[in-house]
Amino acid sequence: MNAFNLSGKAAIVGIAETDYLRGADQSILQMIISASMGAIRDAGLKPGDVDGIIPPPGFVAWDEIAAHLGVPNVRYTVCSQMGGASATASLLTAAMAIASGVADVVLMTVGWNGYSAIRPRPDARPNKRRFNAAFFETVKNYYAPYGLRSAPWWYSLYLQRYARHYNVPPEAAGAIALACRKHAQLNPKAMMRDRPLTMEEYLASPLIVEPLRKLDCCIETDCAAAVVMTSIERAKDLPHVPVTFLGGAEGHPNRPDELVNRKDVLDLGLDLAAPRAFAMAGVTKEDMDFLQIYDCFTYVALLEIEALGYAERGGAHEFIKDGNIELGGRFPMNTHGGLMSQGHCWGMNHIVEAVRQLRHEGGKAQVTDCELGLVTGYGDLGDGSIAILGRGSR
Amino acid sequence: MKMPDKAIVPQPEELDREFYRATVAAGGLCIQHCSHCGTWTHPARYFCPNCSGSEFSFDKVSGRASIYSYTVSHTTAEAAWKDLVPYITLVAELDEGPRIVAAAHGFKPDTVMIGEPVRIFTENRTEDFAFFWAQPAESTTP
Repeated sequence: MNAFNLSGKAAIVGIAETDYLRGADQSILQMIISASMGAIRDAGLKPGDVDGIIPPPGFVAWDEIAAHLGVPNVRYTVCSQMGGASATASLLTAAMAIASGVADVVLMTVGWNGYSAIRPRPDARPNKRRFNAAFFETVKNYYAPYGLRSAPWWYSLYLQRYARHYNVPPEAAGAIALACRKHAQLNPKAMMRDRPLTMEEYLASPLIVEPLRKLDCCIETDCAAAVVMTSIERAKDLPHVPVTFLGGAEGHPNRPDELVNRKDVLDLGLDLAAPRAFAMAGVTKEDMDFLQIYDCFTYVALLEIEALGYAERGGAHEFIKDGNIELGGRFPMNTHGGLMSQGHCWGMNHIVEAVRQLRHEGGKAQVTDCELGLVTGYGDLGDGSIAILGRGSR
Repeated sequence: MKMPDKAIVPQPEELDREFYRATVAAGGLCIQHCSHCGTWTHPARYFCPNCSGSEFSFDKVSGRASIYSYTVSHTTAEAAWKDLVPYITLVAELDEGPRIVAAAHGFKPDTVMIGEPVRIFTENRTEDFAFFWAQPAESTTP
């Protein structure tokens, strides 16, 4: 059976993001409300126009978002429970709701105090808001007793197999970190602006847990971001050029709640999602003008490049050579600096950047005349999501 | 060999507790074994991923395994492990099929090899939890 084709039915019309900070004065709720109102205003809309809300996978719930913004009539809400894959997966869900007429204007938002929750200031109010996920049971029962308590440690269980089995050189991971850092120099909101990085500095970065060096890991950040999507018809009457949802998919490795017993531990949800998204959009990977790739860890980004089809498994280090993923190259990646160098906003900042690029409001990081781009998400223990976006209605 | 003091001791629930209780009682690793099709499954599941059967037992396995993946922790935020860096953690593939995470004993960070055979030993910690050790295959005692 052919699925009803969502391609071209909905568009992102509003975007906003807070500053990216280590030690925000605002609470998570305040940051999320602030970004949400910013995205609604950017769209030329009012809270009363919103009738769909997709909240983050934790920290803040849809009803408090609705109440604080003053959204009087929520017709649809759903929460995508897949960590860093949630934001991009939400675009597919929102497009479905809009194309089917269930909702007209959908607000999606993510935010957290990823720095302050771990390193609170002495005078900070206690923060009880938590991210929660089913796989925490797996981590608690089977990984944490072995000194593998947080993401770099448990992901290393499979990333080291990737690095060793395919002889992935550290310079390949370094190229991801360098591209993100280079692009962050062009972004006034990037945490790592004014802090350029060389390969020598990357290679001298201390090993945390093999194969991950400190500079393979994204940065702890306090931030929030939000986007607003509506129908392509309504989008044409709003202030910005519509950024149209052309294709999207989510995918999940089997089994989704545990890492080491998959047939191949390197299986990502994105392996399954990417071909479906390209098919829905009716485009190929070669048509992309930029790639906003979820970069919680450099090696995960390499695996995603392979899942997208740009290289065979284990071959991403060939694809990323010679500035191919830097501005001026064929497939510039994470033109905002990514999670590695702008800040960790669960990939919602990747969507915001993709929209900025396709509006041709990318500032110094603008990809000249870009028309098509993709965004990926990666979360929990390998959940994947992808959206393919295009400039204007098509 | 002893699990580090103050390392996290879980209080598992549901099938995870049944798995650990069987392992603790047997004094060796016991894995969920489907009564219908014989598939070994870890972590345990209410329905067999192969045949959807719901009858199973936790049966003792051979303890023979090989290194499927591993990592070396050079830093840690956990007090329990601070004095032990760099410590090696293995993903061991049991001869019966499932893979488990286990602490390595008797390996060096720069010589540990994917594919190398190992032997799994268990250390009972509570009624509901045993810690897993992976040692070189020729080991006969923990």
